[in-house]
Amino acid sequence: MLELRLVQGSLLKKVLESIKELVNDANFDCSSTGFSLQAMDSSHVALVALLLRSEGFEHYRCDRNLSMGMNLNNMAKMLKCAGNDDIITIKADDGSDTVTFMFESPTQDKISDFEMKLMDIDSEHLGIPEAEYHAIVRMPSAEFARICKDLSSIGDTVVIAVSKEGVKFSTKGDIGSANIVCRQNTTVDKPEEATVIEMNEPVALQFALRYMNSFTKATPLSSSVTISLSNELPVVVEYKIAEMGYVRFYLAPKIEEDEEETKPQA
Amino acid sequence: MGIKGLTKLLADNAPASMKENKFESYFGRKIAVDASMSIYQFLIVVGRSGAEMLTNEAGEVTSHLQGMFSRTIRLLEAGMKPVYVFDGKPPEMKNQELKKRLSKRAEAQEGLSEAIEADNKEDIEKFSKRTVKVTKQHNDDCKKLLRLMGVPVVEAPSEAEAQCAALCKAGKASSHLPCVYAVASEDMDSLTFGAPKFLRHLMDPSSKKVPVMEFDIAKILEGLDLTMDQFIDLCILSGCDYCDNIRGIGGLTALKLIRQHGSIETILENLSKERYQIPEDWPYQEARQLFKEPLVSTDDEELNLKWSPPDEEGLITFLVNENGFSSDRVTRAIEKIKAAKNKSSQGRLESFFKPTANPSVPIKRKESKCVLRSFKPAIDHKMSSLRISNWSRPMVFGKLRMPIYNLGSELSVPLSRGVCFGA
Repeated sequence: MLELRLVQGSLLKKVLESIKELVNDANFDCSSTGFSLQAMDSSHVALVALLLRSEGFEHYRCDRNLSMGMNLNNMAKMLKCAGNDDIITIKADDGSDTVTFMFESPTQDKISDFEMKLMDIDSEHLGIPEAEYHAIVRMPSAEFARICKDLSSIGDTVVIAVSKEGVKFSTKGDIGSANIVCRQNTTVDKPEEATVIEMNEPVALQFALRYMNSFTKATPLSSSVTISLSNELPVVVEYKIAEMGYVRFYLAPKIEEDEEETKPQA
Repeated sequence: MGIKGLTKLLADNAPASMKENKFESYFGRKIAVDASMSIYQFLIVVGRSGAEMLTNEAGEVTSHLQGMFSRTIRLLEAGMKPVYVFDGKPPEMKNQELKKRLSKRAEAQEGLSEAIEADNKEDIEKFSKRTVKVTKQHNDDCKKLLRLMGVPVVEAPSEAEAQCAALCKAGKASSHLPCVYAVASEDMDSLTFGAPKFLRHLMDPSSKKVPVMEFDIAKILEGLDLTMDQFIDLCILSGCDYCDNIRGIGGLTALKLIRQHGSIETILENLSKERYQIPEDWPYQEARQLFKEPLVSTDDEELNLKWSPPDEEGLITFLVNENGFSSDRVTRAIEKIKAAKNKSSQGRLESFFKPTANPSVPIKRKESKCVLRSFKPAIDHKMSSLRISNWSRPMVFGKLRMPIYNLGSELSVPLSRGVCFGA
């Protein structure tokens, strides 16, 4: 038995919009700590990890750890039918092969039930170790989205380099090249407009812009984005969901051929 | 060729071991390709109509070069790193099989000359396919081409499939960057030789739009509930290239027997001698040995696989000047090879994060075993109790009364599943 009531239903709508482009089918995992999802894109280059903690729900009942396989496009279709101010309740019975989304209007005069078929999805679950990152950049999410969009009109790969000067996004393409540098800036009116750079070591990594652009679909979830970089690890692009959790995107870097060749074979 | 009926046997008995993947999803992977098999395919398919083949000015066949060139570029463009493995000296045990093939080819040759005399187009097509033979010259041409393209070539001491499997296994054991991810061939032998992952249809032309079929040996063994040794015995019983099989025993019977008795030795002890005729000279032990410990090269130096930039001048001399390829096409293709390098550099998450078990249980039960039990008399009782629990849910809103009432009747389907919960 599972019953999760989320007063701010629009959050769930936004979450779905942010991940459905990257992943087609995924298992939602439900436990006493929260409602979560981990899924890779079909080419196994990017991974999305979602967590909505149980405390963020008005009512949260989950008797045992369950996973529900859903087609994200179909789920998004159903959630689109919810109003932005609606309260959304997710319900499923043990052994059932459907999940029900119930939308209540704020005035309680309209209640809709949408039932969706669940699927069997064989998905690999990856263990993501806690890691110390060489550099962590926090910046306005809209700014980051703009940079990714602009650069992808020039090239298909972005180099993200963090140094003392700031964070540099650069690309090269057939028509030319582009460099965008963002400096640390904390003297702003609102804290979410700040750009904060924490750096232990300078770092530079290359990523496919196609994926970065897909991550920025999560921009409506949070006014700031955190980018964590380490030379040996995939980048993490995190959008915090106020008081509830996060959507994190992991992206494997592009590796220069020669580097790979000289890497010690453990 | 390969193991008789294995694909179907697996599809029926270990469906989880087969997975269809998009061609593109293999980017960044190192793939060992059974070269002889591919060349054979190219000779049959590329630019051949009836008995006519694609040739250069001197009249030498170039279908294999054409095929190898364009298909390899397709792999490179998708970001894959192919390594081609060529057959060495066939094991003695294969002589019988090879003789059979030779006589078939001779038959086909006769048929072809007859068909040409009678001008029967269908038969010409049929027989000329069967007369195709991969010669040493074809192999050498392809090796030369691949080296010019900067693609590594491995010459197996014996069977290419065995060498492919060995490359694939070696990669798994030693490094965190897997050396060779999978073996690509059409020959199911590769699995018997123990290739951890085996791909079919990778070398098919893109126009066919066939997805790549990936076989996973670990899942095969799990699905069939056999050990690797038993699987090898199963393949020998089903019929392989190295010895005859027992008349009247096909894949399915073989699987039953292996599951029941565990090995060929015990099967032979228990098999009814009246019903089945065991071939007098049946070297199944040697065949087993060949699959388990085939002659392969494990020399690190030789297997040091390097993908290098193409030799542009060399390619133009070889393809355009010597074999009559269009100069424009070759130049364009070289550009493609160079551009492809960028794609193969994309990393994969699996090289950073390792798979773990997911603690959650799917809410949707797999139906297989449960449905069978739904006719037990207990069903009525449980049905009513479940219905009650449904009614007691605190969610009866005005508008929803009707649908919920309806649910009662619709519920009979999930309920049968509910029964097996208790059972």
